[in-house]
Amino acid sequence: MSLRHIHWLLSALVVASMVLISCAPPAAPAAPAAPAAPAAGEEAAPAKEVSWWTKAAEPYKGVTIRGISESTPPSKYMQQVLAPAFEKETGIKVEFEVTSWDQMYDKEIKDMEAGTGIYDFVYVEQDIIYAYLQRKFLTDLTTFMEQNPQLVYADLDMNDFTSFIDYFKDDQGHAYGIPFEAFLKVYLYRKDLFNDPEVQAAFKEKYGWDLRPATTWEEYGQIAEFFTEWGKDKELYGTTVTAGTHPAATYEMIESVFPAWGIYRWGINMENWKATSANGGSLDSEQAKKALRFWDVDMLKFAPPEATSSTWDEVAASFAAGRAAQGLIYGENAAWIATDSTRSKVVGNVGVALPPTAPGVMDEAKAAKGYIGYYDGGALGIPVSSKNKEAAFLWLQWMARKDFQGDFAAAASRIVRKSTFEDPKVLELDPKVDGYFSLMKEQGPLFAGAPPFPFHNTIRPVLDPFIWKTISGEVTPEDALDQAAQAIDAELAKLGYGQ
Amino acid sequence: MKSNRIAWGLLAPTLLVLGFAGLLPFFYVVYVGFFNWNVFSRVAGLVYTGADNYRRLVFDADFLASIGRSVRFTFWAVSIEMILGMGLAQSLMRDFKGKGFFRAVYALPLTVAPIAVGATWRLLTMPGMGPLPYYLKQIGFDYNLGRYPAHAFATTVLMDVWHWTPFVTLTFLAGLTALPKEPFEQAMVDGANRWQILRHLTLPMLRPVILTALFLRIMDALRIVDEVFMLTGGGPGMHTHYVGIFVWRVVFPKTDYGYGSAMSVLLLYFTIVLCWLLLTSITQARREAGT
Repeated sequence: MSLRHIHWLLSALVVASMVLISCAPPAAPAAPAAPAAPAAGEEAAPAKEVSWWTKAAEPYKGVTIRGISESTPPSKYMQQVLAPAFEKETGIKVEFEVTSWDQMYDKEIKDMEAGTGIYDFVYVEQDIIYAYLQRKFLTDLTTFMEQNPQLVYADLDMNDFTSFIDYFKDDQGHAYGIPFEAFLKVYLYRKDLFNDPEVQAAFKEKYGWDLRPATTWEEYGQIAEFFTEWGKDKELYGTTVTAGTHPAATYEMIESVFPAWGIYRWGINMENWKATSANGGSLDSEQAKKALRFWDVDMLKFAPPEATSSTWDEVAASFAAGRAAQGLIYGENAAWIATDSTRSKVVGNVGVALPPTAPGVMDEAKAAKGYIGYYDGGALGIPVSSKNKEAAFLWLQWMARKDFQGDFAAAASRIVRKSTFEDPKVLELDPKVDGYFSLMKEQGPLFAGAPPFPFHNTIRPVLDPFIWKTISGEVTPEDALDQAAQAIDAELAKLGYGQ
Repeated sequence: MKSNRIAWGLLAPTLLVLGFAGLLPFFYVVYVGFFNWNVFSRVAGLVYTGADNYRRLVFDADFLASIGRSVRFTFWAVSIEMILGMGLAQSLMRDFKGKGFFRAVYALPLTVAPIAVGATWRLLTMPGMGPLPYYLKQIGFDYNLGRYPAHAFATTVLMDVWHWTPFVTLTFLAGLTALPKEPFEQAMVDGANRWQILRHLTLPMLRPVILTALFLRIMDALRIVDEVFMLTGGGPGMHTHYVGIFVWRVVFPKTDYGYGSAMSVLLLYFTIVLCWLLLTSITQARREAGT
């Protein structure tokens, strides 16, 4: 046999083996071990009591449910801890995809729009629920529970959820999602720096008031300016700012900064669906322009250099790396920044406070006429197109179990049930996160979720370029908001709103 | 006749797959371009609007600006790749120490997926965290691609050059290897220097290969999305919002499928025109070269 023949034979063998490997069926899962037979003369041990979950899941054993969520601490906890436990208990396999925020939305929206039934449970963020309700993408869980009482866990206790669940209900009070994460976007600050006597003395000398967490935006700006100067050779800056070319920059404005300046609901008038102040909106108002100039121009000067490449993840990382004296940070990151020394350099030095506000805003929030920041979070919902609704509903109830919430809160700093505030693990963790959970319990009503816009995902991209251009200096904040308000009015009209 | 039938029969499966996976989606995109279709519109589904989307496109300053940015990016990236590629190919025609190692290593960037290229360069250049800004700061250069448009633009060009110059080099190397030796030997005997040989012999004889490489790189560079999206997100502001990213943002986050489809069709038209011009040049060059 010549060398050429050997070459062709070997090549054919390699190709054939690759084809065979790719066609091979997946390895069969290991059969559960049969219970040992009792030894002669011994009585058989009493059979282990079968849990409600095992019984309820019996008809769906072997089914695989697929779901998607954002790659955040709570979702990863569900994927890595709760899902394997659910699989073991019920025999229902959970394929839980956690991915980037934009990919998650892209995939689940396409699936639900096309009705392809790829996903059996999806992440329903608080801000997108209205759009999903309008498009009737999600299963009415209240009706589902009425029609399938055998699948409802006795201790589900819908009344134990915090008021956050109300965001996932329609006008009739029917629920379309079971919350699994809820947190406030809070004001974090460095307690060690704020409590340093030398720093305090220097600050008082320069600004004439005692250093403490800011309660007004003027104070916030002075603190940012001071620490940027003070931290010049220490790689420390005065504030975080989410200023990357990413929707995160827009969200920081509309969720946190605008409301704290008294610009609510993105400046869009919900009676006539207009954003321009000439038509009853407030996006291009003087106050909104002041807010945008303050945050994305003035504060950007006191932010770390990576701010202009940062989304919410990098901002949390910057603060955890000790590069900022204060910042507005999503609460889902508060616990690990404050307690996890493998990821954070500021463990034990994190203070939590309410965000600063413009004059009158706090009073409006207390009177329930406004809000001071963002009550963020999400639920899991079941698409109407799902082919495994029953199995998926069991999973939703599993991740919402009361007895799991303490560990869940400790791992991912989120609370969705009232009873969880009294959980020993939460009570133990609360002082370590400077009372974040207490603040959430007591001051949560001052915050609000996103406005009930059915067009959230379509209008935010209209606003994005104007925020980004402001950050890069291509336009002034004033021109940006003038143009943005007009662009939003035009887009809303195109979508059938505010003709 | 019989051999024609056999040929068509053998081609049929491929044509079917191409038709299903290529032509069908294309016609669907053309169709959707005549409708207003936004997932979160008050009126769900497709609403016929005629040529409205195309009319809007012509006056969409942001869209036209993104095309301008893409052309600028393509010009710089492809020009540098062609010059560098030719230089490297010429070097590889000679023997030098470490040539074997260099040949093994220089083509490695080609094997990296575009999204991984973008992620790697993002880590390298992340202000405040990446090694590149750190070391540049040591020599007094404040490099920040999140803040300075020129830095962002230059970095996207550099990233593309790093990724695709090996492809151009390989293409030129193949062309150079196939060139006949006699004209070069005669030129050297006649006393021509290296520059004269390059200008009057190498480049004219290599013209079909150069145009082919140019054609392929221009098509690719105009379509770039993944690497730049990972690296800059299209920023700072809109400075690296090339047309691919622009279309992506309209179709995916904004779910404006109708408008995005119209954009895609218009871009395809521009691409076809450009292809036709380049292909005509290649065909003419081949005719002149006698191939």
